[in-house]
Amino acid sequence: MGRGWLPALQLLRRGSKAVTRHWKAMHFQRQKLLAVTEYVPPRPAVPPHCLPAPRDRPQEEDVMSGYVRLLRRQVEQAFRSSRMVAVCQYNSMPDEDVVTMRHYLRKHNIEVKFVLNEIVRPVLAQSKYRNLLPLFVCRNILLVSPETRAREMLRVLKGIPQVNLLGACIDDTILSRQGVENFAQLPSLEASQGQTVGALALLPSQTSSLLQRGPSLLTALLDEHIRRLRDTGAPGKPPQEQGKGNH
Amino acid sequence: MASKISVVLRPVKSIVVRFCPFEPNVESTRKFLQCIYHKKIQATNRNCEVTADVRHDGSEPLVDVMFADGDRLIMKGANLTTVEMLTALGSRCNAKDLKEEQKSKKSP
Repeated sequence: MGRGWLPALQLLRRGSKAVTRHWKAMHFQRQKLLAVTEYVPPRPAVPPHCLPAPRDRPQEEDVMSGYVRLLRRQVEQAFRSSRMVAVCQYNSMPDEDVVTMRHYLRKHNIEVKFVLNEIVRPVLAQSKYRNLLPLFVCRNILLVSPETRAREMLRVLKGIPQVNLLGACIDDTILSRQGVENFAQLPSLEASQGQTVGALALLPSQTSSLLQRGPSLLTALLDEHIRRLRDTGAPGKPPQEQGKGNH
Repeated sequence: MASKISVVLRPVKSIVVRFCPFEPNVESTRKFLQCIYHKKIQATNRNCEVTADVRHDGSEPLVDVMFADGDRLIMKGANLTTVEMLTALGSRCNAKDLKEEQKSKKSP
């Protein structure tokens, strides 16, 4: 009756404490609990060495960050939506000159795009503009425009020695610098269409006069004949000639 | 590397860079042209005319430098690197500069 019953917990408190400086073996119950609640990682249904190696795709994803993808898309969009794409070499220019050049080209609806070669080269290699690939070495700029105003572009670029026109792709036709200069000399589409229509319409306009030429010559000859007979012949003859002329 | 080489263009009258951009061997010549237009090099001589002649006839890339005393330096860039071309031009410019200085020192 006097002896109290100490709870089992207290037995643990004799001897060393829970946190010791020397290694202490876990209590058996704690050991069992930890063994039962150990983390078992989930096993895949198909063993990974049976699946096709997915090593290639993660590498490309690492290299192609979202920004690179966006820039590529922008370049593709520029090529798709513009009729004229000119490639120029850009040598370092003072900033205000760059702004002035952008301003003058914008007046002719030409946009200036600074491009990086490592972005443009893969885009071009997969598209139909493969022959423009050798142009993209060193710093380049693209002049894109939905219209084909080559004459104004050449005039602006002539005043800027630091930008050298290398080549262009106008209406899906790749042109060299000389080709662009020749293209600029051509008359506009409306003018050449008008010239063609005029040349074609020239011959039909002459048809009516051609057809009338024979009979008009005949009447002229007969009139001349009548005049001569009147001058030299007797008064009896002219009425007969007049009757023949009426037929 | 190529932008670190400084060239003093004082004895140079004009530079003509001729290349055909659709050829594969023009990279060094184009890089040379790009370096020549750097503001430090351009600042050494504002009167030097740099012209780029863009052709499409399959000709070799060429750099034609005319000096103020009548000398002419022609560099065929097909098998040269940019650094080589810049050092060649730089050494000749320095040599001419030294000669000018010596001449001006001799004749007071």
